[in-house]
Amino acid sequence: MTAPGNGLQLKIEGVSKRYFVRRGQPPIQALERIDLTVRTGEFVSLLGPSGCGKSTLLNIVAGFQQPSEGRVLHNGEPIMRPDRRRTVVFQDYALFPWMTVQQNVEFGLKAQGMDPGSRAVIARDFIARVHLSGFEDRYPHEISGGMKQRASIARALVPNPDVVLMDEPFGALDAQTRVLLQEEVARLSADTGKTVVFVTHSIEEAVFLADRVVVMTTRPGRIRSQVEVKLPRPRVPEMRYDAWFIQTVQQLWQSLKPDWQERSDSDAKARH
Amino acid sequence: MATRLRGVVGFFGFIAIWQALASLGVVNSFLLPSPLVVAGAVIDLTVDGSLGRHVLASLERVFVGFLVAAAIGILLGLVTGWSRSTSDVLKPIVEALRPIPPIAWTPIAILWFGVGNAPSYFLVFIGAVFPVFVNTFTAVRGIDRSQINAALCLGAGPSLLLRDVLIPASLPIIFPGLRIGLGIGWMCVVAAELIAAESGLGYMIQQNRVLLQTPNVVAGMVTIGVIGFGMSALMGLFERRVIGWSQSTR
Ligand SMILES: Nc1ncnc2c1ncn2[C@@H]1O[C@H](COP(=O)(O)OP(=O)(O)O)[C@@H](O)[C@H]1O
Ligand SMILES: [Mg+2]
Repeated sequence: MTAPGNGLQLKIEGVSKRYFVRRGQPPIQALERIDLTVRTGEFVSLLGPSGCGKSTLLNIVAGFQQPSEGRVLHNGEPIMRPDRRRTVVFQDYALFPWMTVQQNVEFGLKAQGMDPGSRAVIARDFIARVHLSGFEDRYPHEISGGMKQRASIARALVPNPDVVLMDEPFGALDAQTRVLLQEEVARLSADTGKTVVFVTHSIEEAVFLADRVVVMTTRPGRIRSQVEVKLPRPRVPEMRYDAWFIQTVQQLWQSLKPDWQERSDSDAKARH
Repeated sequence: MATRLRGVVGFFGFIAIWQALASLGVVNSFLLPSPLVVAGAVIDLTVDGSLGRHVLASLERVFVGFLVAAAIGILLGLVTGWSRSTSDVLKPIVEALRPIPPIAWTPIAILWFGVGNAPSYFLVFIGAVFPVFVNTFTAVRGIDRSQINAALCLGAGPSLLLRDVLIPASLPIIFPGLRIGLGIGWMCVVAAELIAAESGLGYMIQQNRVLLQTPNVVAGMVTIGVIGFGMSALMGLFERRVIGWSQSTR
């Protein structure tokens, strides 16, 4: 287990991203000069309105996309492509529908060439840790959204990555399931001590889970402010009633409101 | 089950009307023999062994041509679906060849391969390869990007990515392509045998037309229909076994 603050895990240096959509049209500036560091074992929430470039930044950190400018270092080495030291939990789960829960969770070990016997044992252990025991042989279409996301979290933890990247993992779930899974992630991240970058547009979720909340502006995404969350870990449900927690969520909301209001106004205009 | 029952009713209704038209003399029995006469012809041809021989010859041809078409169609579909530069090169060629009906290839097939099995293999291949290719290509292009990304970040190399992700993700769309390809291949083999073979159901029909044996001609047609129906049903069964995981999402 690694205590937070031991060392530097991720260093994002001057990252910009432009998307060239159509010839002759100006490119979409999704990210503009992002500088951010994440310490080993730290849980960082990336908070921002939708369309501000959170997924783009996460995909660049994962190695799925390259930045237009700048670079990202993982343990001091530039990230060129995805590798199993940084695994991802997707909003739409991205489970393989032709594999059972067990086979999905084993996938990262199979990719390492581990023999079937050993990987079955390890996968079953992780399935138990996300409370899915008994559902090993189900296919993704046979289980609920919350269970799918549990399976996908287990799948991401199994290869023992340095960093887990989560992109609005609970965005498609109902409110109750969402709260339950937040508590699950709080427990797992405290247990495993993994570095986590967690993208969300929910202020409460960001503050509840993270050691540090990084707030982004509307497009082009820049870092607007950062809030250290002093609550001890593991986070437990009672902390949602903590005076500091409530006040921090409220203050963040007050400061973000103009940005997000403008966003939903322009969305509304676009619809009309 | 109601669907199946209605299917059976429809089928026997069709036979009954056909029989009635023939018995009442509404249609000329030389031009369209009645179902009973056709059934008699099927029995005679079966007993003297000629029908079995022709069926086996046709099946062997469709089987060989279809296997080659499936292998090449899937391979090319996977490669062009994955690599944009390959598809930029190959797509225009495929799109130019695809509208040529397989029948139009028959003269050149006879010129190239003479008479026998080879032109049939070739025509079945031409008929079956395009649906397989197009479906495989479409399937690979349509794969959910985040499933590929998930595999990559979990450390999958190229061979595991192909075997455990790209191929299974594409199968639900590849299979209908195979089914359509086999159906077209079956039509092509008969068409090829009408002119370019000395055995097979197409050849049998052609011979009997020359001999003015209409019941045998229709018996051949019925056999073609029954076998085509059976092949399609078998493919459907196989398909449900292999891609059962995708059934409920349809
Ligand atoms: N592949 C792409 N091509 C063009 N524009 C894109 C692409 N991906 C994202 N964008 C645009 O970049 C901006 C940021 O997108 P994204 O990173 O998905 O935001 P978020 O995850 O915060 O909602 C959006 O305006 C989006 O439309
Ligand atoms: Mg997003």
